[in-house]
Amino acid sequence: MVSPPDRPRTRLLTVVLRRALSALGTLWAAVTLAFFALRIAGGDPTHSLLAQGLASPEQVAALRSHLGLDDSLTTQYVHYLGDLIQGDLGESLYTGRNVTAVIGEQLPPSLQLALSAFVVSLILGLSLGLASGWYPRRVVGRVADALSALATGLPVAIVGLIAILAAAYLSRMFLPALALTRAGGLVLPSLTLGFGASGALARAIQAGLLETSAAPYLVAARARGIARGARLMWHALRPVLPLAVSLSALQAAFLLSGTVVTETVFSRPGLGRLLVSAILDGDYPVVQGLVVLGAAVYTLTHSVAEVIASHLDPRLRDAEA
Amino acid sequence: MKPDLRRSFAVAWLGLAVVLTTLAPRLTSHSVGQPVGAPLAPASSSLPLGGDELGRDLWTRLLYGGRASLGASILAAGLTVALGSLVGLLAALAGRWIHGLIVLVVNAALAIPGLLLALLLVAGLGPGFPTIVLAVGLGGVAGFARLARQAFLQGQTASYIAAASALGAGRTRVALAHLIPNARPLLVPLAATYYAWSLLGTTTLTFLGLGGDPTNPEWGSMLNAGRLYLQEAPHLVLLPGLAIALTILSVHSLASARARSFPDRPV
Amino acid sequence: MTLRPAHWRLRAGLVAVVFFSAGCSTPSTTNRGVTYGLTLSPTGIDPHLNASAELGIPLSSVYDTLVVQDPATGEFLPSLASSWSISEDGRSYTFHLRSDVHFQDGEPFDAEAVAANIDYVLDPDHHSQKAVFMLGPLEDVVVGDSQTVTFLLAEPYPPLLDSLSQVYLGMASPKALETWGPVDYQFHQVGTGPFRFEEFVPNDHITLTRNPDYAWAPSIYRHATAQVERVTFRFYTDPATRALALENGDADILGELPPHDWDRLQRDGAFQVESVPIPGQPMQFLFNTRRPPTDEWAVRQALLLALDRPAIVETVFGPSSPVAQGPLSINSWGYSAAGSFPAYDEAASARLLADAGWVPGSDGVLRRNDISLELSIVAPSWGYNPEVGQLIEAAWEALGARVELRVAPSFGQLKEAQEQGDYSAIGLNFFGTDPDLLRPMFTSGGIYNWMGYSDPLLDDLLGRAGGSAAAAAERSELYAQIARIVRDQGLLIPIRDYVNLVASHRRIQGLRFSYAGWFPLLIDLELAS
Repeated sequence: MVSPPDRPRTRLLTVVLRRALSALGTLWAAVTLAFFALRIAGGDPTHSLLAQGLASPEQVAALRSHLGLDDSLTTQYVHYLGDLIQGDLGESLYTGRNVTAVIGEQLPPSLQLALSAFVVSLILGLSLGLASGWYPRRVVGRVADALSALATGLPVAIVGLIAILAAAYLSRMFLPALALTRAGGLVLPSLTLGFGASGALARAIQAGLLETSAAPYLVAARARGIARGARLMWHALRPVLPLAVSLSALQAAFLLSGTVVTETVFSRPGLGRLLVSAILDGDYPVVQGLVVLGAAVYTLTHSVAEVIASHLDPRLRDAEA
Repeated sequence: MKPDLRRSFAVAWLGLAVVLTTLAPRLTSHSVGQPVGAPLAPASSSLPLGGDELGRDLWTRLLYGGRASLGASILAAGLTVALGSLVGLLAALAGRWIHGLIVLVVNAALAIPGLLLALLLVAGLGPGFPTIVLAVGLGGVAGFARLARQAFLQGQTASYIAAASALGAGRTRVALAHLIPNARPLLVPLAATYYAWSLLGTTTLTFLGLGGDPTNPEWGSMLNAGRLYLQEAPHLVLLPGLAIALTILSVHSLASARARSFPDRPV
Repeated sequence: MTLRPAHWRLRAGLVAVVFFSAGCSTPSTTNRGVTYGLTLSPTGIDPHLNASAELGIPLSSVYDTLVVQDPATGEFLPSLASSWSISEDGRSYTFHLRSDVHFQDGEPFDAEAVAANIDYVLDPDHHSQKAVFMLGPLEDVVVGDSQTVTFLLAEPYPPLLDSLSQVYLGMASPKALETWGPVDYQFHQVGTGPFRFEEFVPNDHITLTRNPDYAWAPSIYRHATAQVERVTFRFYTDPATRALALENGDADILGELPPHDWDRLQRDGAFQVESVPIPGQPMQFLFNTRRPPTDEWAVRQALLLALDRPAIVETVFGPSSPVAQGPLSINSWGYSAAGSFPAYDEAASARLLADAGWVPGSDGVLRRNDISLELSIVAPSWGYNPEVGQLIEAAWEALGARVELRVAPSFGQLKEAQEQGDYSAIGLNFFGTDPDLLRPMFTSGGIYNWMGYSDPLLDDLLGRAGGSAAAAAERSELYAQIARIVRDQGLLIPIRDYVNLVASHRRIQGLRFSYAGWFPLLIDLELAS
């Protein structure tokens, strides 16, 4: 049976639309979940303002009516959703500043870190996966295998501390000017976080390569002399790519929480510090805004990953009906 | 390292860690809180690993810290596995509606980074040991539930299930007698991986300073406290760090030895 | 089988991008600029509204105040006010202002501007957290002519001059205050000082540039205008990164260095080090006099005597910090050795408890009528309070009590813990140059009276010392009496007097600090060529 020639393109569109809808649904559910969880677990958002003496009871009462905190939870939720759709995340309980502005200020350094770490994780993951999957019995392969095991298992905090120690000794011995350990710098933090994120990718590529390198089509290709060396490896790699792509996008979740820890270890400014202080201060609008941001990034990257993966591997297209 | 060698090393380390931390009271006569020497004292006969930044015995604090870390993560992992399996089982057995609802909630929960969820709980309930166990335990439920559901679903298509149903077995019976036992080989290594994840979670949270009384040692908070002396006394950081790393890596290596390859990481 | 060369080139290129972006991430110090490290990142930096001492480090050079304090003697000297007079009854202060001053935005400085600043601070919708309290019983600010302004008080308030010398009551341009409003003004601050406020990116940096029009420097400054072009403030909230920042050249000046790092920098000799004493209250833990068992005097005394405070200070702070002896630090005006706290005496401590009926059980825990001696310490997470808390816990456990320590990660959480009332001892202290700062903490019902202590005698003494037209000598004597009562009643545990451990790069010259200790006089900074 031959399918009509224009089928594949419309199918991609359907896939994208379906994914987008599903992503929006998940995002809405996540935002709702966070909203109710925060209100129920956290109690009255203005309580800490009173407790810290930052506002008199009259001022708190005024603030409550301004924020609509005396309405039922459902009404508040509806208002919140309405504001959210228009892009209004509310104001910080503490400084009165626009939450979007506050988050926007702290976003660039975190984004820098996350993107650099992502690039590092791609490079490292690819290298380690290739080395351990294609040369499993050679020294290079074994070392890569051990490194990828370390990458999946070692906590980011520990990798970071080791990196700081190593850099301090190196810079004392060799290059004092290199200053790898500067607070706020990008090299060590992105290497640390990137290393941690590379583990899963390396493992997946390794497993995939080990599987495909024994596959009949590959043996045949080599026997017939069609491909040798790097081209052979590329042939082995291709079926693994969709999985690899979706995996690396899934790393967004790892990068999100990893950024918080990395920023703490290396004393970098960014969303991590904002999150921790907002939570500790009970600044709910800011926390909620960060949750929305995190959930949006997560669902976006997941959807993009799955669309790309299903495009590369038609077998996956009908996977989730 | 050859897989077998790695696995034996993993078993050896885990065994050693469990034995040493369990026997802690017998292995040391010092208390965790009393200073017994000068700050950062070097190793001596009374201080086998030297003193920490306040002059307390580092060996004692490592042992009891291990108790706290390993204990907390077992509790948290237990919570995750129990709740997660329950939710996964429900989703696998339930009709379309409930199944869809559970999947939606689980996906929504997954969209909120685990660390954020844990931080929220800590903020709501106050820092402290029980809070951290709860936070890490609950944080992993969504991920484990999804994988558990997959495991149960795979079991459902087996022909003997259809046979059992045809013979009149009710849903609960099918679940208890067939689904659970058959999903076990998949879930056990997963649970082990989640144990490693719990250890990571509890040590990260205490590293961020959200644990309870700092006098009661815990590997993560020892990491945090030792950080200030990283260049002067790196062993304050390296020893608990090594302990954490070795434990996590050992558990991973044992778990992956028996696991089927799932495309998802248990994030 | 080898990989194609192109692969390696691509990878090398990506790695290079990462490395170069690291270099681009932080601006380098220019030739005529200084980088100063701050150690706290306050949520707001408007000194009229926010309470953090950290914000004063940059901002005391952006603003001038009506009067200034001599860094050595504490004497009040003219600044924006060229002279002043105080009425006999102490309720009216009249200031004669300089006529040659204008704000950095060109607006003239005059009596109306002073009144506008006070209105801004007093406005209840602005929620001032510190400045408003520093004005005490202020009733009205009366503008005479454009160069004369009078402060009218409901009752005498000796600390007023001190308040008016602080950055929290620095004079801001009324036009800027009006234009930006209380939420945004902190990003666009305009004063009359030797430095202009350029930029504030929260958690990232604050930039000040030299004010070329500055021509009204008070006598405490050694220079008439700023000597450096620009000062950039960066945040180093994590103590572990501070010495590193100095050694890497990221920062030229950093305070609040961890004691062992400061010792090391001192020994290495590559940096200039200084230990600046900070007047005000020392690091201390307040006893809860409303909750058993610390509601009993004997228990409080015993717990105090059980602490080897010099040893605790030595362990945590090394030799750099003096042991505190009372509710005020030794270098504060108003400190009196007459109220010095008793020394470590384990035997006396045990005796006191035994006499009060606390007997050790079979497990070593002290009990009285089947109730064990249980204590709860709440420590703030900053300033090494947790470490001191752990050592106090250890000492009290050795005594036979059961102790629990909680660390509050933020001031908000500290206050909430205090609200719940579940503590035997809680850490809190404030800095300041006038001992009237003791009032909110020791008066009955004071907002920081976290001890729950109420004593009409103490109230009377504090009221007279801070609210009468008493001369300095008389005030001093009153504070000595207050210190004695605090000691005799065992109201708190004094730990150590604060010193700011500062280190600076050798190219920095002329670093000096104000009378309040925390704030550098940036106008006098010079760069060695």
